[in-house]
Amino acid sequence: MNKFFSAEKFKYTFYLLSHPLDGFYEIRHRDRGSVPIALIIVFLAGLTYTLNRIWAGFVVNDVNPRTVDLLSEMQGIFVVYFLFCVGNWSITCLMNGEGRLKDIIMAVGYSLLPMILCGLPAILLSRFIASDEEAFYYLIIFIGTAWTVIMMLLGIMTVHNYSLGKTLFTLFLTLIAILIIIFVFMMLSTLLDQVFMFIRSIYLELLFRG
Amino acid sequence: MKQLILRTVLPIVLMLLILSEPVSVCAAEVPYDSYNYDYWNKVVFTPAAYVPDDSISGVSLGTTPFLNPQDIFVAQNGLVYLADTGNNRVLILSEDMKSIVKEIKEFDNQGTADTFNAPYGVCATADNELYIADSQNNRIVVLDLSVLLGETTASEETPELVKIIENPVSDVLEADYVFTPLKVTVDYAGRVYVVAQFMFQGVMVFEKNGQFTSFFGTIPVKISTIEKFWKKFKTKEQREKSLMYIATEYTGIDVDPSGFLYASYIDSAGIQAVMRLNPNGQDVIKKGQNANLGGDIWIDGMSEYSGPSRIIDVVYRDKGIYSLLDAKRGRIFTYDYEGNLLYIFGGIGTQEGTFVTPVAIEANENKILVLDSYRAEIISFTPSEYGTLINDAVGLRYDGDETLAVDKWNEVLKYNENLELANVGIGKAYLTTGEYKLAMKYLKLGMSRQYYSIAYKRYRNEFLKANLGYFMTGALVLIAAWFVFKGLRRKNRKAKGGRSYE
Repeated sequence: MNKFFSAEKFKYTFYLLSHPLDGFYEIRHRDRGSVPIALIIVFLAGLTYTLNRIWAGFVVNDVNPRTVDLLSEMQGIFVVYFLFCVGNWSITCLMNGEGRLKDIIMAVGYSLLPMILCGLPAILLSRFIASDEEAFYYLIIFIGTAWTVIMMLLGIMTVHNYSLGKTLFTLFLTLIAILIIIFVFMMLSTLLDQVFMFIRSIYLELLFRG
Repeated sequence: MKQLILRTVLPIVLMLLILSEPVSVCAAEVPYDSYNYDYWNKVVFTPAAYVPDDSISGVSLGTTPFLNPQDIFVAQNGLVYLADTGNNRVLILSEDMKSIVKEIKEFDNQGTADTFNAPYGVCATADNELYIADSQNNRIVVLDLSVLLGETTASEETPELVKIIENPVSDVLEADYVFTPLKVTVDYAGRVYVVAQFMFQGVMVFEKNGQFTSFFGTIPVKISTIEKFWKKFKTKEQREKSLMYIATEYTGIDVDPSGFLYASYIDSAGIQAVMRLNPNGQDVIKKGQNANLGGDIWIDGMSEYSGPSRIIDVVYRDKGIYSLLDAKRGRIFTYDYEGNLLYIFGGIGTQEGTFVTPVAIEANENKILVLDSYRAEIISFTPSEYGTLINDAVGLRYDGDETLAVDKWNEVLKYNENLELANVGIGKAYLTTGEYKLAMKYLKLGMSRQYYSIAYKRYRNEFLKANLGYFMTGALVLIAAWFVFKGLRRKNRKAKGGRSYE
């Protein structure tokens, strides 16, 4: 238990915010990170996203509350998260990346922290602004997003020990890998469905004849 | 016996209970849906705004049945003009549409009796001049009816001819152009607006003396980027064979008292099907929150029923309210002067109050008249309590009496609490009276971000002003606490002899 959740490891997530390069290096090589904490951060980021959709102030919120569904949004976020991690892993494996799957999971997961740290105050602020003060809200959201993107980029770069150019290139390949994975899954499900339908029709046929 | 009752009678009673129609909340049962679109373009069903109250056919008027009638017009004095196209006549009906005032089949054209050939559109001015789009004779006949209508006894006298508008000549018209007028309308200055067949350049405008002056308000042609993209790959032959991108024709026109022209057309995108043209021919119509003036929001599917509305006529009513008639689904869409949808009603069918082929719409005081060419009937609708309240409230708002409109809007909300327009109306009134908290509540229900924001700003200012003392005290306490805390910590650290960092 201590291996995953120690006070020191919780504090380390905040250290990462200001020292992404050193921080991710130590995650890779000195075992300072924790996969469960990364997953918790992803969960909280998903929660923040849904909260933002339903609780952000009326002035900035153009979401129909009837379309907000925590469960399906959370599923979507986790699916995208794992697709990205696996896609990245499968590419970097072939391209001399030093990161293991758990390093990628931690790097991507930890870098979502600014989303939560900026998202929650933004929701709070959005409830106290009028229409020409929206810029403050969008600024906070923008800072959170930019911070996350920078951290994610540096994180992936560091755990694989890549240059920036190579990181961007592998990210592009990751995108293609994700598409391939989706394609394979869809094909698999269609084929399985057909096999199932085949067995089902044989069963029904036997049932009717028998 | 008891067994029998339990076994047979009880199930039957239960069945009847289940199968019987639930008691309708609405007072009048109508053969169509009445609905509106909310902020998210979702259908919200409403009480019926208008209910059918009468249908007028040739038989009910005691004459030969109408044959393929194409246009109706309600004059300022209340007389109803009907272009009975197939019978080559124009009928003038009394105000209550129960009897025929006059039947015009022929007129005196410089000494000879002349007749009509498929009169397609009619329009009458306040001084009883009747404009008839005599389509197959390629002319517009203008008759003076003041003598005819002034007489108390019905006479067989033919109406006097004022002028004939035909053969428009202009540089912008082709030499072999055949003028086939379909719809005609006249503004207060005597300018004649004509929708002609195969005339894609816009509405034709004629001066009072019958001289063709110009086109008016061309419908913009929209070509999507995908179409443009594919066009690049087409060979010359393919391009020649493919459809030409030309503007559509106008389908109906009407003039409001200030001389602005309402012109409807068929928009394939279903976004805007009506224009309000100023005297320069520019479209100055206002669009509402969802920026849609095309009737129904696009209905998905491949059936006859899907796609955008096919708006074929427009009528300007009172206080900036205008209605559009959809031929595809037989619906009537009513908008206020700001382009907000007020109510939708009507449908295709054969029941009383539905249409088969609606072709023209008119307003007779508070009633709405729809002409059905296939059924050869005028179907008359009268506003329900709900419709009347909305009309009145919009009218009051149009005149600037927003505070007076609040009572009406409150009544409307009793019938339909989802009507965003009513909520906004109430919210705005509270905003002007300074009850910002209530204004915020109603403006949020009405999805009006702009006014909600104004109300919220004022509410926030008021709140801050009222509680400034508390805020300042709180801030002072916090600052003091922080200094104390800092001092204590420094003391502690000194006592420990300082802490070293790596």
